[in-house]
Amino acid sequence: MRSRAVAISLLLVFIAVVAQTAVFGDGRINPFGASPAVVLVVVLACARYIDPEPALLLGFTGGMLLDLLGGAPLGLWAMSYTVVVYIALRFRNRADDGPVIVGLGVFSLTLIAHALFVIIGTLFGERFFTSTAVIKNTLLPAAYNVLVAAVVFPIVTRMIGTRQHLGWTT
Amino acid sequence: MQSFQRFDRSTTLLIGLLVVAFLLATFDVRTAGDGLGTTMRDGAQTLFSPLQDVASAVTRPVVGFIDALSDIASLREENENLRQENLDLQKQVDQFTSLQAEIEHLRDINDLTAPDDLPTVTAQINSPGSSTLDLVRFINKGVGDGISVGDAVIDEQGLVGRVDLVFRRSARVRLIFDPNVTISVMDEVTSQSGLLTGDNDTLILRIFSADEPVREGNVIVTAGSRFPPGIVVGTVKETAADDAGFGLDTEVIAAINPSRLDFVKVIVGYSPLDAEDQELVEEEEPAEEPPAEDGSVDGEPDVLDPGDAETVDTGATP
Repeated sequence: MRSRAVAISLLLVFIAVVAQTAVFGDGRINPFGASPAVVLVVVLACARYIDPEPALLLGFTGGMLLDLLGGAPLGLWAMSYTVVVYIALRFRNRADDGPVIVGLGVFSLTLIAHALFVIIGTLFGERFFTSTAVIKNTLLPAAYNVLVAAVVFPIVTRMIGTRQHLGWTT
Repeated sequence: MQSFQRFDRSTTLLIGLLVVAFLLATFDVRTAGDGLGTTMRDGAQTLFSPLQDVASAVTRPVVGFIDALSDIASLREENENLRQENLDLQKQVDQFTSLQAEIEHLRDINDLTAPDDLPTVTAQINSPGSSTLDLVRFINKGVGDGISVGDAVIDEQGLVGRVDLVFRRSARVRLIFDPNVTISVMDEVTSQSGLLTGDNDTLILRIFSADEPVREGNVIVTAGSRFPPGIVVGTVKETAADDAGFGLDTEVIAAINPSRLDFVKVIVGYSPLDAEDQELVEEEEPAEEPPAEDGSVDGEPDVLDPGDAETVDTGATP
């Protein structure tokens, strides 16, 4: 049953990658010049219900796919998402505390993911800090992700959550 | 105890994955977009391009509708009567408008001719990259269509960017807004040359020894070398003058709107070295000694240090 949950999670991440690279972004749905990080929301939603190791691999895979389909050096999103999933795993039982906590968690983790991406990217020669747009492109996706999470989390819970909720101790 | 072991395993895995990602990033930067990274990207593009095309096609009316909604929001007061329109009718109109705009855009693109009538390949943007931090676009034409790394990309407004990675059926275009892109440009009015660098959402023009000020509204075009000469890049935003011999810096408003890119043309077959050879021959070769066909003197190829100002630096040493 757990492998089924992992397989569904992987499929959802693939769909999210297609959606993020084809539907959102500049010239697509991009309100106020920023778009949500749909892949991260899906990864976080799935990480609530699968074991820590597959969750980490799921985050790494999602990030790596974004790297492969993006313009930054390979591995930057993979690093960011893996770290964020690891943090999420430490706090995932708090998701039971209600939607406000989930919303705050998604906002904070998205912020951390983008901040890590910008910092690691800068170490690898990317020039994100030359413009104030980097602040907008870090804060707005975090806010959008809270809205996206309101849709994605119930769907993921319905698909893999009912029998797979592992709680704190796993 | 079991949970401790599980935690320990996941921490080990985290470290392992971070090391793998770090190594991949290092190799990718060091190989400057060549080697394993390109192979992996090619595979990902091959896998995802058809899915992205389908997703784009399916969601185009929705995207157009949302776009139209934002326009309507900004013109709400002027269009009060329109607000009552049936939503389905509105959707149909938006769909029609979107298609019409696409046709117009295609017509414009097909009418567009490259400088010096260089051959071009029309392509469509099929992905804007994986996040808004990316200043790249993926186009649906690749090696099989004659596209190669370094080709200039234009639309009917002006210079869009430069191909920095090519796959079998797609290619990655780095936009002129990318801080890693520097272009040798010329003020069309004063004929002064300088360097234009991307700054994420704007462009910065630097002229190191400016004899006269550049004025607001002056058109900035490519000066040749790596990009074909004469392509419009933008217009000067504010008048600026040389400050005590230290050169001048000013912002340039890009001719293109990155949010509105859809169809573009890739200029293929332009060789910057040929252009430089030609320039060299024109400048240095005496009239009685015509240059050889390859543009070299006495039939021997010139060993040129291009010294090109334009660069697409895909990454730097960490």
